Amino acid sequence: MEAHASSFVSKARTAFHSAAAKAERVLMDFKIDLDSDKQFHDEFGRQRGDESARSEKFLDELKHIKWRPPHIGTKQDWQDRINNMRKGRKEVEVTDKVGDVSMASAPFYDENMYILNVKNDLDAKASEAIPSVEGLTAATKYPIPPSSVLKQLAIAIESGRQTNSMKDFVASSRGSSPAREKAGLSLSSVKALVLREKEDKLTSEFSSDEKVVYLINSLFDQEGEFLKRNSDPEETFISSLPRDIHGAPLESLVVKLAEVIGNFKTLREMSLFWSRVVDELRKHWSEEKHLPGIPPDDIPDLKSCLLYQQFQVINCCISRKKRHIIATESLDTMVMEANSNALESANYTGKIPTGPLLYARLRTGELVLRLGADCPSGDLTLLETGEPAYSPVTQEGPLLTEDLIKETEEFVLRTGSVGAGCSQLLSDMQAFKAANPGCILEDFVRWYSPPDWSESEGSTEDRDSSYGGESMSTRGQLSLRMQKEGNLWRELWETSKPVPAVKQAPLYDEDLAVEDILDAFEDIQPSELFGQLFVSLLSFGFAIAETMLYGDLDLSKLFNDCKEYIVTTCQSDRFNEKIDELVQMYETVEKMLLNPDEALKMKHMEESTMTTDESKRRFSTGEPKHRFKRLSHIFGGKDKLLTRPVCKNEVNDEETQIRHSFSSFFDSKSSLFSKKPPKPGNLYPAEQPLSLESDRTVI
Amino acid sequence: MESSPTQEFEYLFKLLMIGDSGVGKSSLLLCFTSDSFEDLSPTIGVDFKVKYLTMEGKKLKLAIWDTAGQERFRTLTSSYYRGAQGIIMAYDVTRRETFTNLSEIWAKEIDLYSTNPECVKMLVGNKVDKESDRVVTKKEGIDFARECGCLFTECSAKTRANVQQCFEELVLKILDTPSLLAEGSKGNKKNIFKDKPSQSDATSSCC
Repeated sequence: MEAHASSFVSKARTAFHSAAAKAERVLMDFKIDLDSDKQFHDEFGRQRGDESARSEKFLDELKHIKWRPPHIGTKQDWQDRINNMRKGRKEVEVTDKVGDVSMASAPFYDENMYILNVKNDLDAKASEAIPSVEGLTAATKYPIPPSSVLKQLAIAIESGRQTNSMKDFVASSRGSSPAREKAGLSLSSVKALVLREKEDKLTSEFSSDEKVVYLINSLFDQEGEFLKRNSDPEETFISSLPRDIHGAPLESLVVKLAEVIGNFKTLREMSLFWSRVVDELRKHWSEEKHLPGIPPDDIPDLKSCLLYQQFQVINCCISRKKRHIIATESLDTMVMEANSNALESANYTGKIPTGPLLYARLRTGELVLRLGADCPSGDLTLLETGEPAYSPVTQEGPLLTEDLIKETEEFVLRTGSVGAGCSQLLSDMQAFKAANPGCILEDFVRWYSPPDWSESEGSTEDRDSSYGGESMSTRGQLSLRMQKEGNLWRELWETSKPVPAVKQAPLYDEDLAVEDILDAFEDIQPSELFGQLFVSLLSFGFAIAETMLYGDLDLSKLFNDCKEYIVTTCQSDRFNEKIDELVQMYETVEKMLLNPDEALKMKHMEESTMTTDESKRRFSTGEPKHRFKRLSHIFGGKDKLLTRPVCKNEVNDEETQIRHSFSSFFDSKSSLFSKKPPKPGNLYPAEQPLSLESDRTVI
Repeated sequence: MESSPTQEFEYLFKLLMIGDSGVGKSSLLLCFTSDSFEDLSPTIGVDFKVKYLTMEGKKLKLAIWDTAGQERFRTLTSSYYRGAQGIIMAYDVTRRETFTNLSEIWAKEIDLYSTNPECVKMLVGNKVDKESDRVVTKKEGIDFARECGCLFTECSAKTRANVQQCFEELVLKILDTPSLLAEGSKGNKKNIFKDKPSQSDATSSCC
């Protein structure tokens, strides 16, 4: 413990000097003149929250640290300082020489004031960063989600590409950024040491934040009103775009999730919110509550994104578990009632039981309870007993998402195993036997595989010789292929025991399946998650726009060009390189809806350009190239406008580095001199560079 | 179960055979891969065979999935439609019901489960060796194929008439489709998002 503290102090001290040296260099670069004590205190007293003001205060403080002459106070002053140091030692266990007191005490006092101001500012900023339900609801007045939401998802895809799992992403989104790495490893390691201990606390604080809780509750509200856009229910036109580009159905949980997550301001909060969503999914599963905005009992739709398929599996498994419980209770009740009837039957010989219980009479005349019988199987009767044949309740098949299908297929190809079919056939045979006492393989085949049974009229002679005295109107036979020696169907039939479906070993384990999905969610690759959300939101916006622009001939043409580009890009394997262009397409469509005239002007400008290049167009090959060429003109125009933002980004980049140095310096000092352990508020300076980087990519 | 030795190939294509039970899908596949005929037991769930061949100077590996036609197996077989570049819709020319069900059932299954909008479909009428029992004319087959936008051929697994040509015509059409050719290319990485390997469910084998 003490050794650890010593190591910590040593690193902190090194970091402190390193940061001080860097700050001093920055100070020299700025060539700021000396200032009086009075002016410094005045500026500090105003407690201005402005970013640049904070920087200036910091610079002023640095001047005082450097140039204020050593102050030898009264005996009482010394006594007070020593007492303060003793109190401080209990918390940070810092041993200082008396000679350092004069220098340490002043920054100590000022640092506290500054920390308070910084904390207040950052608290306010954090409060604004978390989107509110009211804010998101207000945004639904716009026809499609704002393009800023899509941009944020695009940023997350780029940032998450080097990370393998969401857990790492949460840590790395705070701990490492290009600007901070330049400050040196020692500084980063100290920061990691300090902040790591507070990570869990901050995470839980995020989860319990009032706004976050409200967002989660609204998102998972069963009514499904949250983020609903005023779409015309009369509209029968359904866009195929979401399925063409592997998005998600309109108004589904995936689309709403994309819109919510895209409204967070920092990558870290986006990740934390996803963790909160996964917790909520676990809660729904354990409470057997269906997810809203997802069909309750559909098999996975392979044309939608994997995330949507997995949500479908969760809901479908919930439905199946409910059905299984009902079926099990029903069967148990039936068996108990049958046993009870048997007792009564013993008391009253010859009485035939009544009620909903189903019995089959064997050739011996014995009555046997049918287990798991569903409904009569048409006009079929059992060949040997003449009893009606019942279709049994059967187990339901596996719910395979696209990733599991691929794995299953590769497994079968690699091992040659086709066991899944045999397992199901065996299960069905056992269920059939339980529901149809006295049945034979031929009965099963007539129900399961009608083409393998052929009816034929028997002659009188055959009838007499085969079934002495019994009258049978018809007699059939299995198909030749079914009669073959070594036929696996017969072998399975002879192996099977009469067991109703609900009592069999499950062919598909719902608990295992959903647990796998939830585990995959926790450890999902960030670019995979944000990529799916991006495509879902993109398809959602375009699908709504398609409906709204349906009747407008001029805008429809431009829209269809954008749409075709999007479909082609999303279906190709170069998707990751084209995200920025997809965002621009979305912005174009957004403009069409919000400002049609300007969009038309752009269209006309583009058309005039086309006229100019008419000679070139003659040599273009095929319509698709032609359209993409026109699209590139639109982008070409936009590219010219990017020059100025690039310069701005450079300026922002410099400011980012400067602020980073300053915030690192303060973090180190706060950990060294603070009487209390660093509060969660102190963690926010680490987020600033990240936010600025996010801003930097805004065009 | 054919365990074929690993051979070099440049393209891997996935073919799927669907249709009512008893039309001869498994026999067609056996005829194509082994050049033999056998009255095979009904397929249980899904089976597959691998065939290597060279066409148009390209070395191909075909993974051909044979599905059971019984209704109860449909959920199990539906997952094998995913990503198939070619689909063979088979019927028995001596049983009209198997032809009717192509539009009633199997074309709808393709719409539901196929994830490849450009996959090549081929209509195949089998058992033409039983000419005296024929109830579906060739013209009916041609008309249906044209309506569905798919290739058409008639053949007999028993006499091996036209079986080889049937598969080769399908593969040629796939080779002529740029997007399918790109998918089959060995270096292709089709998935937009990197697949994360998760715990695979090993199916217990009863065979």
